[in-house]
Amino acid sequence: MAQNNTGVHERPPLSNARLAVLVLLGAETMLFSGLIGAFLVFRVGNVTWPPPSHIGIELPRLVTGINTALLLLSGYTMFQAHRAIQGDRAKQLRRWLLITGVLGLLFLGIQGSEWVQLIGKGLTLQSGVYGGIFYVLIGCHALHVLTAVIWLLVVYGLAVAGRFSAEHYVGVDTCTIYWVFVVALWPILYVLVYLL
Amino acid sequence: MLQWLPENVSTFGQGVDNLFYAIYYITLITLILVMATLITFLIKYRYQEGKKATYIEGSTTLEIVWTAATTVIVFVLAMFSYPQWNKIKSPTSFPENPDVVVQVSGKQFNWDMTYPGPDNEFGTDDDLTLENELHVPVNAVVHIQLTAVDVIHSFFVPQLRLKQDALPSRFIDMWFEATKAGRYEIPCAELCGFGHSGMLGYLNVHAQTDYDAWLQERWPQ
Amino acid sequence: MHDNEHTSHHHEESFIRKYLFSLDHKMIGKQFLIYGLLMFFLGGGLALLFRWQLAYPDQPLPIIGASQQYMDEGEVVTGADRMWERIYESEKEEWLEINMPNGVVDPAFYNMLFTMHATVMVFFVVVPILVGAFGNFLIPLMIGTRDMAFPILNMLSFWFAVLAAVIMTIGFFVPGGHAAAGWTGYAPLSSDAQWTGVEWGQILWGLSLFVQGLSSLVGSINYITTIINMRAPGMTFFRLPLVIWSLFIVAILLLLAFPVLSSAIVLLVFDRLAGTTFFTTTAEGGGDPLLWQHLFWFFGHPEVYILILPGMGIASELVAVFSRKPIFGYRSMVYAMIAIAFLGWIVWGHHMFQSGMRPGLGSVFMTTTMLIAVPSAIKTFNWLGTMFKGSIRFTTPMLHAIAFVSMFVIGGLSGIYMANTPVDIFIHDTYYIVAHIHYVVFGGSLFAVFGGIIFWFPKMYGRYMNDTLSKIHFWLTFVAFNCTFFPMHILGVGGHMRRISNPMQYEFLQGFEGMNIFITMSAFTLGFAQLILVFNFFWSIFRGKVAEQNPWHVNTLEWEAPTPVPHGNFGQIPTVYRGPYEYSVPDEEDDWIPQTRPEHAPATGGD
Ligand code: HEA
Ligand code: HEA
Ligand code: CUA
Ligand SMILES: [Cu+2]
Repeated sequence: MAQNNTGVHERPPLSNARLAVLVLLGAETMLFSGLIGAFLVFRVGNVTWPPPSHIGIELPRLVTGINTALLLLSGYTMFQAHRAIQGDRAKQLRRWLLITGVLGLLFLGIQGSEWVQLIGKGLTLQSGVYGGIFYVLIGCHALHVLTAVIWLLVVYGLAVAGRFSAEHYVGVDTCTIYWVFVVALWPILYVLVYLL
Repeated sequence: MLQWLPENVSTFGQGVDNLFYAIYYITLITLILVMATLITFLIKYRYQEGKKATYIEGSTTLEIVWTAATTVIVFVLAMFSYPQWNKIKSPTSFPENPDVVVQVSGKQFNWDMTYPGPDNEFGTDDDLTLENELHVPVNAVVHIQLTAVDVIHSFFVPQLRLKQDALPSRFIDMWFEATKAGRYEIPCAELCGFGHSGMLGYLNVHAQTDYDAWLQERWPQ
Repeated sequence: MHDNEHTSHHHEESFIRKYLFSLDHKMIGKQFLIYGLLMFFLGGGLALLFRWQLAYPDQPLPIIGASQQYMDEGEVVTGADRMWERIYESEKEEWLEINMPNGVVDPAFYNMLFTMHATVMVFFVVVPILVGAFGNFLIPLMIGTRDMAFPILNMLSFWFAVLAAVIMTIGFFVPGGHAAAGWTGYAPLSSDAQWTGVEWGQILWGLSLFVQGLSSLVGSINYITTIINMRAPGMTFFRLPLVIWSLFIVAILLLLAFPVLSSAIVLLVFDRLAGTTFFTTTAEGGGDPLLWQHLFWFFGHPEVYILILPGMGIASELVAVFSRKPIFGYRSMVYAMIAIAFLGWIVWGHHMFQSGMRPGLGSVFMTTTMLIAVPSAIKTFNWLGTMFKGSIRFTTPMLHAIAFVSMFVIGGLSGIYMANTPVDIFIHDTYYIVAHIHYVVFGGSLFAVFGGIIFWFPKMYGRYMNDTLSKIHFWLTFVAFNCTFFPMHILGVGGHMRRISNPMQYEFLQGFEGMNIFITMSAFTLGFAQLILVFNFFWSIFRGKVAEQNPWHVNTLEWEAPTPVPHGNFGQIPTVYRGPYEYSVPDEEDDWIPQTRPEHAPATGGD
């Protein structure tokens, strides 16, 4: 992103693109705050949780726990990818990006199969607020993971085309910021929705 | 402006009106001060040939003065308001041992008034539900359990200075004590659908003897 | 016009590139302006329709309504009668027949009218003009840069807004009618079609606001990035003009507030389409009808400050320029805006005092709400301080700025009544609130908009707006505005509920018939006055008197750029040496010093 203008600083500490992604995360945080707020209202407003009609249905805590670990791991690999390009190691960048992407897809895959099982057991959108907020909140996060994966694939494509170097890696940078956000959000949701 | 207020007929209404008056005078004086200053400045400092504006960047002292003055006014006002609000809305400070207890339920587009009957219990055979007519004795503490069937409605009696939203499947307690017999309107004050305009009940405040007669007529013993 | 374009940026552009999918912030700003003005007529027209019903309940509208004879005896007298006859004979369910049988506004249609009136005015008029138009046009020019950080996002933000408006407009014509649950869309009324009979209208309403949210998101990312990163050399934060400060703060508010509304809309649409029960209580496990209100107002209160802050910024510019004086207490003005924006997040409960929320919370929200009077006091008195010992020029923009200050004070002070919990018990959901709304958004925001349009018009189009017409428009608007909305305070004190289509159904409101008629008359006058503005606007674009580069002798950077402003704005990026309000500096020949004049340069007259 070529800048027309130097601004006050000869070179602003954060480039436009990086700043913009950080600003975007402010909005994303508020979106999730709204949904988490709704979740908490339901959680506190109902004497028993899950509500009586759902006592029989257990959320897959263990599998999701493992899944959580996978996602956290992808945060680490993303970080490595970032380190790699800072050190101008283009090949390692590609490798780490690939691993990260696969981990992201794995996370989505496992969650998808869990959803299929849950629906089979009878936990659907229509089963009261318990089912409703579960699918909306977790689904909203899943959509974000999906976005992040697609973004990552684009970055991977650019990396293959050799577009990044130690001087020029805004694309990797912004993607990393977004990825870290999506990863960091998940443990909060896991604790709130699955464990509490 | 405040002579337009409907007549007050509840015990706590005077407190509300007093606050209304207090704010009225505070804001009126503020408004007059601001407007007078504004108009004076506009006239006095209008553009005049050969007269230049004076370069003034600000004044910390003045800044502090009006910050402090407004803060004080606001907090004093708040202090006077808390007890009044709690008196009307906090169930813990309601007068105990009500003379009458009624369940009022809003539904599209009527008010249902349910009396517990002689056994003083809801959900029994001697309950009586009247549509849009609420009967209470004068100078008696009335407790109302307010609820709604479908959407949110709002129980409003202008003369009582009382308004409270009614939520579906939730009971909200409120109380009043009317000081003057008469028939008052109970409009619905929350948008509740196409029949919202015209959703209207009546509060009949009876003298004690009339009220007893009404009771006698409903539950003859 | 093409001749004086900056050479390095000179290239012929096709009509589509230039006027439709333009990437130039100035063109996008103008697009937002014209879009907002057009929507203003839609929103205002809806208001006039329901104002008629309030003044003459259940009487047919003029021109399209049937005559009395026709209603009583079916006797065709007027052309409108013939039209109704034809509609009834065709036996098809026509839009007109459903919503306005015989030309009388139906109660369900009434609800739809005020719902859409407010939705259009808030989301498609005031925000697009104040934030979209002024933000886009002014930010790059006033901070001294060539364009926004992301021109493509900028264009997207406009076209998202148009898409939202299109979706919203479609809602008028779907079966079941448009959303009719108020602009606040309270659940469960809005979350289940069975309560209103509105099927798709409410969903389109939500969808449209969701898209509008995307537009705001993209726009605010752009504004924030641009203001932080792209200021001209020397343009420190405390040399920014106040209007830029206000837009910066508003961009942050928009960024953080709108997603909360979006989350609420997601839940609402799920309730509508997927059978969830977020806002209704069922045996399955309880949803919560108050949840919607909390989410909506958590967004909604910051939203009303989004509507006023840019107005405050514009008023600050105008008051300083036309008093020929520095802003009184520049820094405290900035801090006051930040304080208002911050406090705006913790007061939302004041809309819910009577909602059944815990009474203890009411007291907390009352305190925080009333505290907003403090930064507002700072702003008000600083405007007065700016006029003190000034040399005030009564140009039309200045008249609007003065109207802004005085009307905002009235609207703000009426806010104190409602912030007071016991008093709010009585005036909640009455016309007292309606009076407050319009004093702050019309008396406040719109007067600032009008003033801003006239003030920056010479920069936008290189011409002046016709001053006689502007003056007539101002005085008509000012008088008609007060005649329309001041009496609403009295209605409110009398207990007149809002959102009722026929006040004459209530005994205790019988005395207000005359006042309602008076208000409606004034509202029509007010509407007429706006026709003058719009005529003047479009006429002046082509026929107005040609303006020089800096007609009002203003210091800020936008007036340094040539008129009309070429692509890329400035020949060379200006360097800033001083604050924006150096007016009437002692020992200077001129009473103004552009921000670009170096500290110790010799004072030369003009440029
Ligand atoms: C631009 C929009 C705007 C602005 C700026 C404001 C500003 C304020 N508003 Fe308003 N408000 C709305 C738009 C706005 N509002 C709308 C649209 C609604 C209705 C929504 C709906 O239900 O449809 C609403 C509703 C609303 C309510 C809910 C009422 C109800 O439904 O029962 C309340 C209650 O507290 C309130 C309070 C305030 C206060 C305290 C301010 C303060 O910010 C005002 C501060 C300003 C001043 C106080 C004046 C200047 C100060 C001085 C001159 C100093 C001296 C003052 C004192 C000593 C007090 N507003
Ligand atoms: C920015 C916001 C904004 C603006 C500018 C306005 C402008 C106006 N408003 Fe609005 N209003 C709201 C925001 C706004 N309003 C909100 C938020 C509500 C609450 C809604 C709710 O309860 O959900 C509300 C509610 C509201 C009500 C209460 C309805 C009710 O509760 O039942 C009324 C009643 O009179 C009203 C009237 C008007 C009028 C007469 C104008 C006028 O100023 C309009 C002037 C403009 C025009 C008239 C258009 C221009 C001209 C033409 C269309 C040409 C034709 C004209 C002629 C030939 C004469 N408004
Ligand atoms: Cu019930 Cu309005
Ligand atoms: Cu508010």
